Order: sequence, then structure tokens, then C-alpha cells
Amino acid sequence: MRSAILAGGALLSGPATALAQSCAMCGSSFSPDDPATRAFTWSIIFLLLVPYTIFGLAAGFVFWSFRRASDRPRATIIPMAWRRRPIAPADGPEEA
Amino acid sequence: MNTGSIAMPRRLAPLPPERAPAISNTRLAMIVLIAGESMLFAGLIGMYLVFRLSAKAWPPVDQPRLPLIVTTLNTVVLLASLVPLTRAFRAHTGAARARQVGLTALLGATFVLVQGVEWLRLVQHGLTLGSSTYGATFYMLIGCHALHVLTGALWVAVTAVLARGDAFAERHPAALEMCGIYWYFVCGLWGVLFPLVYLY
Repeated sequence: MRSAILAGGALLSGPATALAQSCAMCGSSFSPDDPATRAFTWSIIFLLLVPYTIFGLAAGFVFWSFRRASDRPRATIIPMAWRRRPIAPADGPEEA
Repeated sequence: MNTGSIAMPRRLAPLPPERAPAISNTRLAMIVLIAGESMLFAGLIGMYLVFRLSAKAWPPVDQPRLPLIVTTLNTVVLLASLVPLTRAFRAHTGAARARQVGLTALLGATFVLVQGVEWLRLVQHGLTLGSSTYGATFYMLIGCHALHVLTGALWVAVTAVLARGDAFAERHPAALEMCGIYWYFVCGLWGVLFPLVYLY
């Protein structure tokens, strides 16, 4: 867990201005002052976010519906072996 | 007997009574449909954003302006159609349900009619599919939505006719629910498209 957090932090703490910010086609198609650059940027960001948003909303609705179903099947929860308390031996006469 | 041999197989326990699924097939199907339609409009909105943000002047100087006031009132009409539809879900009798759904269909048809009249005026003033990218993106995006509203209004109208005969009693609300979900989607979509196209 700690290594995952450290790796994510290392990725996000990279330089703010990257040397390459687009593929070769997009980078060479527009001049620096071209408003189409900004237009394509926002459009691509929008189209990237929409599928995840739609899927997240749909999945969230399905999850919420199952959670609030009163007669949904409940699994029998069996604790893992290391969490089970050892069964104390029954008191009784020792074997001869 | 309960012997369990080849000659006399053991009797199996009866199956438990079927439970209603947490999500009905109706809702699941409508979720899939609406997700697909949302992706369609996401693509069209992406297209609109590219042209809108890359243009130096929007709308172009030589193109007519959109009818903001009429469309705002039309928007109120469309959103108001959700009120009778919501009441229809809670109606107790078929006649009351049919009345509310019919009112929804009427308001939806009014929206489509007013949009059509405004489009005719825009065409007369020179805004067409081929006049500019402004016209092309406007008619593509709003036209696609208008097609959905028209389809939805027809669906709601048919539902209103069927609701008169108590076809949507409480134990069979699936058809009314499907129609309602689609109409909610269409109205919610207009809540996104109207500010984007007319106000921005």
C-alpha cells in the first residue's frame, strides 16, 4: 500500500511542463497561436471524460439498486482461518 | 419415499420461489439505451466544441442570430412536461394516468412544433445546413435532439392512448416506466444543449 502511494506520488510530481504534449500529428498540425489547439484540447478532454462518467453513473445506479433491495441474497460470511478463534478443547477425562 | 437409488431416485427439494431482480429488465434495457444515446450526443457535442472554440467570431457576423426568447419559453414548456409525467406514475386510476400522460404528449408536441416554426424562420433568414459551419453544427446537434423529442412525443402519445384502458395498472408498469425514462432523458439532454448552443 505504501509503495503504491509512493509510486503514484512520484508519477504526479513530475515536471509541470513536459517536452511533448501531443502526438506528432496534433503537434505539427497547428501553429502555437491557432485557436484550434484549444478547441481540440477541450473537445478531447470532454470526450475522454464522458464514457467514464456514463459508465460510473450506470454502475453506481446498479450498485445502489442492489444495495437497497430488501430481499437480496446475503452471503454467509466465514472468517478467514487466521481470524478464527481456536476451538478450546472440551473438558473431559483424559484418555488412558 | 426417499431412498435415493437408480430404481427410485431421491426426490429433489422444491425450488425456492423466484425473487424479483433488484433491477428490472426494463430499467436495465433503458440504461443501456440511454448510455448509447448519451455517447452519440457526446460525439456531437465534441464536434460542436471544436468548431465553436476554434472560430474567431461565433456566431459568424453574416449569420442570423438564434431566437433566444422564444426558445427559452419553449424550454420552459418542455421541462414543464415532466410534471404531469411524474404525476402519472403516482396516479391511481387509468383515466387519471392517461390524462397526465396525454398532457405530457401535448407539451412535447408543442415543443417540437415551435422548434419547427423557428427553424423555418431561420432558414428564411439564411441559416441552413450548408450556409456555414455554424448552421451545420446547429442543425446537426439540435436536429438530432429534435428527432429524439419527436420520437419520444409519439411514444408518449401512444402510451397515453394505452393508459386509458388501464393497461398500466400497478402490476404492469414496465411500459409506462420505459416511456418515462426516455422522456426524462430527452428533457435532461435539452438542459445541456440549450445553454451550450443558445447561451454560450
